[in-house]
Amino acid sequence: MHRLLDWILWLPMIGVLALLLTPKEMTRGIKYISLFFTFLTFLLTLCLYGQFDTSLAGMQPHLEINHPWIPSFNIFYHLGVDGISTPMIILTGLLFFLCVPCSWKIEKSPKGFFALLLMLETTVFGVFMSLDFFLFYVFWEVMLLPMFFLIGVWGGENREYAAIKFFLYTFFGSVLMLVGMIALYYASGKDVDSFNLLALHGGRFSNLTIDLFGSTFAFDKLFFWALFIGFAIKVPVFPFHTWLPHAHVQAPTAISVILAGVLLKMGTYGFLRISFPIFPQASVYFAETIAILGLINVLYGAFCAMAQKDIKRLVAYSSVSHMGFVMMGLAAMTVPSMNGAVLQMFNHGTSTAMMFLLVGILYERSHHRWIVKPDGSKGFSGLATHLPKYTIFFIIGMFASLGLPGLSGFISEALIFLGTFPRFTTLTTLAVIGLLIGAAYLLWMYKRMFFGEVSSDVKEYTDMDCREILYMLPLGIAVVVFGIFPNPILDIMRASVGNLVQLLAQR
Amino acid sequence: MDYSFWNIAPIILFPLGAFVINAFVGCKLYRKGDFISVGAIFASFLYALRIFKDVIVDQHSKDFYVHKVFTWFDLSVGDFPFKIDMGFYIDSMTATMLLMVTGVATLIHLFSTFYMAGDAKYGKFFVFLSLFTSAMLALVLSDNLLSIFIFWELMGFCSYSLIGFYVEKEAAGNASIKAFMTTRVGDVLFLLGILAIYNIVGSISIVDIYSALAMGSFEGQSVIGVSALTFIAVCLFGGTIGKSAQFPLQVWLPDAMMGPTPCSALIHAATMVAAGVYLSLRMYPVMVAGGITDFIALIGVITAFGAATIALIQTDIKAVLAFSTISQLGYMVMGIGVGAYNPSFMHLITHAVFKACLFLAAGSVIHSLHDHHTHGHVQEMPRMGGLRKKMPYTFLAMLCCTLAISGVPLFSGFVSKDRILGDALYFGMVHPHKWMMIVPVLGFITAGLTAFYMFRMLFLTFFGAPRDEEVYNHCHKEHFSFTQNFPLLLLSLFTLGVVYSGSLTGLGKINIPVVGKEWFSTLITMPKVEDFTQREKVKMMDSHLPEKFETSHYHVHEASEMTHEEHVLHKAHSIGAITSIIIAFLGIFFAYLMYISKGLNPAKWESAFSCWNKALKERYYFDHFYEKILIGKGLHGFNNALAWFDLNVYDRYVIDGWEIIAKKIYLGLSWFDMKIVDAIVDLSGTIIRFFNVTLRTMQTGRIQFYFVVLFLALSGYMLLTRI
Repeated sequence: MHRLLDWILWLPMIGVLALLLTPKEMTRGIKYISLFFTFLTFLLTLCLYGQFDTSLAGMQPHLEINHPWIPSFNIFYHLGVDGISTPMIILTGLLFFLCVPCSWKIEKSPKGFFALLLMLETTVFGVFMSLDFFLFYVFWEVMLLPMFFLIGVWGGENREYAAIKFFLYTFFGSVLMLVGMIALYYASGKDVDSFNLLALHGGRFSNLTIDLFGSTFAFDKLFFWALFIGFAIKVPVFPFHTWLPHAHVQAPTAISVILAGVLLKMGTYGFLRISFPIFPQASVYFAETIAILGLINVLYGAFCAMAQKDIKRLVAYSSVSHMGFVMMGLAAMTVPSMNGAVLQMFNHGTSTAMMFLLVGILYERSHHRWIVKPDGSKGFSGLATHLPKYTIFFIIGMFASLGLPGLSGFISEALIFLGTFPRFTTLTTLAVIGLLIGAAYLLWMYKRMFFGEVSSDVKEYTDMDCREILYMLPLGIAVVVFGIFPNPILDIMRASVGNLVQLLAQR
Repeated sequence: MDYSFWNIAPIILFPLGAFVINAFVGCKLYRKGDFISVGAIFASFLYALRIFKDVIVDQHSKDFYVHKVFTWFDLSVGDFPFKIDMGFYIDSMTATMLLMVTGVATLIHLFSTFYMAGDAKYGKFFVFLSLFTSAMLALVLSDNLLSIFIFWELMGFCSYSLIGFYVEKEAAGNASIKAFMTTRVGDVLFLLGILAIYNIVGSISIVDIYSALAMGSFEGQSVIGVSALTFIAVCLFGGTIGKSAQFPLQVWLPDAMMGPTPCSALIHAATMVAAGVYLSLRMYPVMVAGGITDFIALIGVITAFGAATIALIQTDIKAVLAFSTISQLGYMVMGIGVGAYNPSFMHLITHAVFKACLFLAAGSVIHSLHDHHTHGHVQEMPRMGGLRKKMPYTFLAMLCCTLAISGVPLFSGFVSKDRILGDALYFGMVHPHKWMMIVPVLGFITAGLTAFYMFRMLFLTFFGAPRDEEVYNHCHKEHFSFTQNFPLLLLSLFTLGVVYSGSLTGLGKINIPVVGKEWFSTLITMPKVEDFTQREKVKMMDSHLPEKFETSHYHVHEASEMTHEEHVLHKAHSIGAITSIIIAFLGIFFAYLMYISKGLNPAKWESAFSCWNKALKERYYFDHFYEKILIGKGLHGFNNALAWFDLNVYDRYVIDGWEIIAKKIYLGLSWFDMKIVDAIVDLSGTIIRFFNVTLRTMQTGRIQFYFVVLFLALSGYMLLTRI
């Protein structure tokens, strides 16, 4: 299994080739091929879990792959996983696998859709596995391409605006990241390790200065921000969040799931893999700023979510709010908060994916997503009476999202709070308001849609069918099981996260 | 008895198992699996009985047992320890709570099989009931604040689901969200308290908190500018305010009556709302050290008095009981504030029994009364009356409980309430601020109001002539039925004061069989935090348990003798007992005058206090203030403004503004491109074109012309080189 990472990374691309060879009239065949490849990939990510040695803090040496790629610039094809990336890889494998059955009824050129989806999967795996900055950047950039088309072609009525907005926003961030990367390349002396993310660790750049526009800047503080903005746009951190509601509302269900479930985590993963270890001094120096931004995210997202009339926009803003908790957890840099943040990245992935899938199921029946229609009437009424199975899943997803103990969201939020309280007492005290509002907007939405007499529109909806239940079930189980017993994930991340905390504490 | 895992855990695991079974296959089972839920809770009751026997009857109550079950997390790395253990904590209070919860819950489960029969969601009701019971029992057994919080929230979820049980009603949705959100305000405060404790103690187990208190770990610590102990005490008490529906978060409990009546009896009367008080009792040393006992007493008495006044004018039988629950919870909280630790806990137990019984009796009444126009049940007291003859068993139970809650001697409510009021009077007498006498004074007035409105309810329901003949005539004569009447009658047996106390009126003591005299007040004592610093760890000898299951056994020293203030205390209690008896009978007498003998006309009194009456009808405008102003105008207004700003200002102008700027730059560039660069390009084009044209015209294709040119060129070249 030495090439396990290679297989996980490139298997979806083999799927793309298989899809390209399939005639586009064979829509069922296309779907089954995509299902097969995503399922196989998911199984491989589970193998990764089996192969994982929880006692190691660094990269798993038996899984690492390192070949020269462009030797003249010291660029390597360097893949590896540790406790921070493994949960993300498993989450990616799971969500992409579930996205195929959830897009089963797609009618507009399924061949292109599934090919792009599989291509997207490879690029996401690439981001989570790369240990070479250049390789990381390539995957990060290439990912924009399938995303742009998936939103821009298969999206809602305003898809082009959303797709271009998404593209430009992220591209802007990528450019800053590119600048940071090139600066690091030169600052590290263009030697053999100059793109090696592991070798750049540990504050090598803390004493450097750089002259720019006639004044002198500390190298690490300046380029910490260049990378920070690049990642922050992806998270998204206030004030770079406005692409998210547009992209979510316009994207098809599967893409919303991927976007909220995996793509947002790439931003926070960037902090954990690149910003924090490479610029530890600057990270500690700016920790409070990051925490404040996180707090703004929590509250701003929650307050905005409460005012939304479109379910998808509401869930999108709730993602902004929940990612704020991750930011706060990262900024506190303590053992519980960091573990909580990584766990929250995983748990938010499952619970928010559940919410988006549920919204998609409803949308397939109603063809609208209004909680309150623009004319002021109720969009839905009496769903709980008419759709009992749907209601059970909705309740599980909703309560996991609002952090009910016993479901996954609670543990990560509790860990984050336990870790942030000693460092940012006031900010944490304010952040718990986010918990309150978080419950309010979800329950209020639930009340407006599920209670009351069954309206005539709702009477025509059918409850979840077998396919829908089957793809909701893994998420439902994950949310409940990891809510009670999170140790399978915590055991994996514990050593790596602890290692990072120690690295940061030395500064 | 050894406190090994399998002697304790089944108390939680039985109802939890019933929940799991019923949740998945309940609908396919015989009677939708109700017998599983009922059987499970009865089995829990038997286990609780064993613990009660060991701790109370065998007089081991001075000891407490901590049983570590498992490590939930261990994220320790290097110098950064982080570990959370889960375990059981058992002392006399736990044992008594367990017996009360399992006993009351068993009877309520039994009653539910009668009350919910025929309901379309019969099975679902038992699913939630079992989940709730297991969460409540787990909360009682928890040895740390985090697991208390977890089960606390889970109970909140069950409460939410059961209040919103009738999903087709819009009002049920409003009530359920109101209950969840209001209690969650308290919950986040509770969570903050836990965070602050963890930050200072490095652990959240009750034992560690007590020993940290004893060792003074909190001294000199502060959290956001206030003393850490005060911060923690206020936060934890905030949890109590939310869960036990105290002022100013009391608004949710009356609305919670939207749920089925058995769930009101179990959750919103006997157990969940009492959990708030239970938390404050568990954390009593923190409350005292935090110096907020006066605040607690005031909150308690304001709640008790305010809710009692609102109960005076309610016409819905469940609403009366809901406000009376708030009021009685206020008494318990007041008891905590005035230092009546044991009486407060006693009132928690006695109240749970008689209030559960009152709700079940009310349920029994409601279930028997049908409105044939709306096909619903009748809950309005103005449409009842004279039911005494039709429902003798329900009446008997209701009468006992009403006597108990009113504080009539010989009944349990008298024993516990009188002890709280006596302590409150003592508190008022010795308090440095004279105005704190308001606590006992309002407490006594509330006792009178309680007697009045409870008897008003009893009279309106069971006495007099039927006010709605149609409803009355359709009500069947009650025959004794096991599921309907047995729970009521058994519970009403436990409203007798003799069960709890050998001294009923201060006139000599009766030896209670099995447990001995005054068992409640002598065996359940306030924790002494100093005792928790000395630990003698005794390893479990049970060989089939893994190493990590270990039980610590703590010996607590004998309580010291009463202090010299005994005299004042005794005096306060004598005055208190006499006053409360007089006041209770006054209340009953007034109710009799108004609703039986018609010596006083309630309508006249209402118009005499019309202004106050209106405020009472509006529940002192709290609901209006929260819903319409604070949430409706404030929160929603702010949210809408923020969301509008985000989409229409920030996104449209600031973010898309970049596009406009980019467009400007692009337009400028394109002008430059077209006019300048292009011109340059054009110029070169022109030059090329010039040559182009010139050269093209020269390419005539006539060979003679080329020769001429060639000749001219050659001759020119030769001329030039020669010269």
